[in-house]
Amino acid sequence: MPERIRRRSLTDTALWVWGAVVFVFLFLPIAVIVLYSFNNGRLLASFDELGVQAYVSGLQNDVIIASVMTSLKAATGTALLATVLGTFGGIALARATKGAKWPVLLTALLALTLVTPEVVDGIAMLPWFVTLGVDAGLTPFNNGLFRLVIAHTAFSTAIVTFIIRARMAGIDSSLEEAAEDLGATKWRSFRDVTLPLAGPGIFAGALMAFTLSLDNTILSSFVQQPGYTPWPVYIFSAVRVALRPEVAAISTAMLVLTLLALALVGLVLKRSGNSSSQIVKTMAGS
Amino acid sequence: MTSRFRKFLGDSALSFPTWAYMLFFFALPVALVMWYSFGFKPDQFTTHSMEQLSLGRYREVVSPTFLSVFTATLRISIVGTLACLVIAVPFAYWLAVKVPPGRRGLLLALVLVPFWTNFLVRTLGWQIILSPDGFVSEALQGIGLLGSPLDILYSRAAVQIGVIYNYLPLMILPLFVAMDSAGVQLREASADLGAGKWRTFFQVTLPLATPGVISGCLLVFIPLTGDYITASVLGGANGTMIGQLVANQFQNAQNWALGSAMAVVLMLFTLAVVVITALLALVVKAVIKYVGRVELPTGQHAGPDAGTAADLPEGSGVRQAEPAVSGTTTGGPHA
Repeated sequence: MPERIRRRSLTDTALWVWGAVVFVFLFLPIAVIVLYSFNNGRLLASFDELGVQAYVSGLQNDVIIASVMTSLKAATGTALLATVLGTFGGIALARATKGAKWPVLLTALLALTLVTPEVVDGIAMLPWFVTLGVDAGLTPFNNGLFRLVIAHTAFSTAIVTFIIRARMAGIDSSLEEAAEDLGATKWRSFRDVTLPLAGPGIFAGALMAFTLSLDNTILSSFVQQPGYTPWPVYIFSAVRVALRPEVAAISTAMLVLTLLALALVGLVLKRSGNSSSQIVKTMAGS
Repeated sequence: MTSRFRKFLGDSALSFPTWAYMLFFFALPVALVMWYSFGFKPDQFTTHSMEQLSLGRYREVVSPTFLSVFTATLRISIVGTLACLVIAVPFAYWLAVKVPPGRRGLLLALVLVPFWTNFLVRTLGWQIILSPDGFVSEALQGIGLLGSPLDILYSRAAVQIGVIYNYLPLMILPLFVAMDSAGVQLREASADLGAGKWRTFFQVTLPLATPGVISGCLLVFIPLTGDYITASVLGGANGTMIGQLVANQFQNAQNWALGSAMAVVLMLFTLAVVVITALLALVVKAVIKYVGRVELPTGQHAGPDAGTAADLPEGSGVRQAEPAVSGTTTGGPHA
């Protein structure tokens, strides 16, 4: 490796410094939130004294806990629904006959959802849910959790579909054909060959859908119903009134849990023999 | 057997649930918004009426207030996207090329930590950092760099910092993937053929990363233009962005017709940007292909084997010496 032998040049040093600076930039506000979560004062932004008071009162605050639970439920529902839709869509797109028109149309439709600003999705969903739930009498559409799952799935599906299509495009369809030749039924070859092959893509897609749902603020703030306020919308309304350290405390706790879960996922992937870069890329969906 | 298999999986049947869902929960509602945009707000208590269709709402949209917010939003998006690009290109290059492969995974995971932290919470972090009585302000005053408290929160500058921060990981990721897949081999081949580091970067790594640059720019630009969370947390009344205007019509003013018209304008604008970018990408690709073309003797594969190409006399492995990656460049750092 010639790079190893050569001494570090000026540009190399500059690149390492730049890398460090960008990391500091990326972690600065997160570090601030974690630090301020140990603020015993009444207001988040003015640091009073060090302590864990915010964690104690945050965990005892029913409204906060309920909103976190709503978010987790909505994210789980979204991950399930978007993954099913995305898996079907992605596999169908990757295995489509060349020259067919529908794959182009479906890709265009999905791409359109990705380039549509979220606020447009939000204002489109709200009247639609009112039409379905109130005018058409489909009562599930009046349920806050149901609304969140449906809305979040609408924008997650495209991403999951594209992740799975990319995964399946790299896999030769001859494996599935071989299964058929050996006498497997279509369903059997789909279940025992195609799905396991799509596995990492499905997994990455589900993780992505979960994250996107958990993080979503704009769309949620439009479609939410009283009693089903997701966590980001709770924070957003708190911003307008007064931010208390509890918000930072619960966010820090959630961040720690997320990172632990992701580390676990990474460990499982590593056990199955993936390189670390590959794992991260899989989890980031690219 | 192939045809039977294709009939099941290659058929559009499998994609039917996806189709149905996207049409019912995306296309239809958006079509409804387009329809509302031709209506009007009849009285204080009604959100919209479709009894008289007109283009009146679009005329209302093209008002000085809307246009000034629109241009401000556009400026923030363009500056934000460019800043992300300028920050991310050397960073992604460093991560993909300079960092030892063993540590790359961990560092990449660290880049994603902000991505997995709640968007709003990160923005709140900036609110604390930039606040006039925050620790940064006090530290700057303490060492005498500032005479008065930091006056940046609730301004466009604060929004600009916030959006650059919030969307940076979306730029880094595709760039890293593109530069990583460009591969060590091609860079080494370029160096072996005598190209300098900068030349290798600009003529091999960067052109190969073009798809990453384009998808990164779109990934940043599109959500940034529609974003209003960052603006409402950091910008206050001075940093209004277009998304807020649209949301206001629905959440406060209860004027669905006007809000819909604004939304349609915003959507068409974003779509236009995407289409123009795609066209531009095609042009850039063609230019790069033309400028960087390497003509090889027929029957030989593109991507010449580094060792043999360098050993052969000039011109035999790579016929066209200029301006491609070639053996004629003098002063390679590769001693």
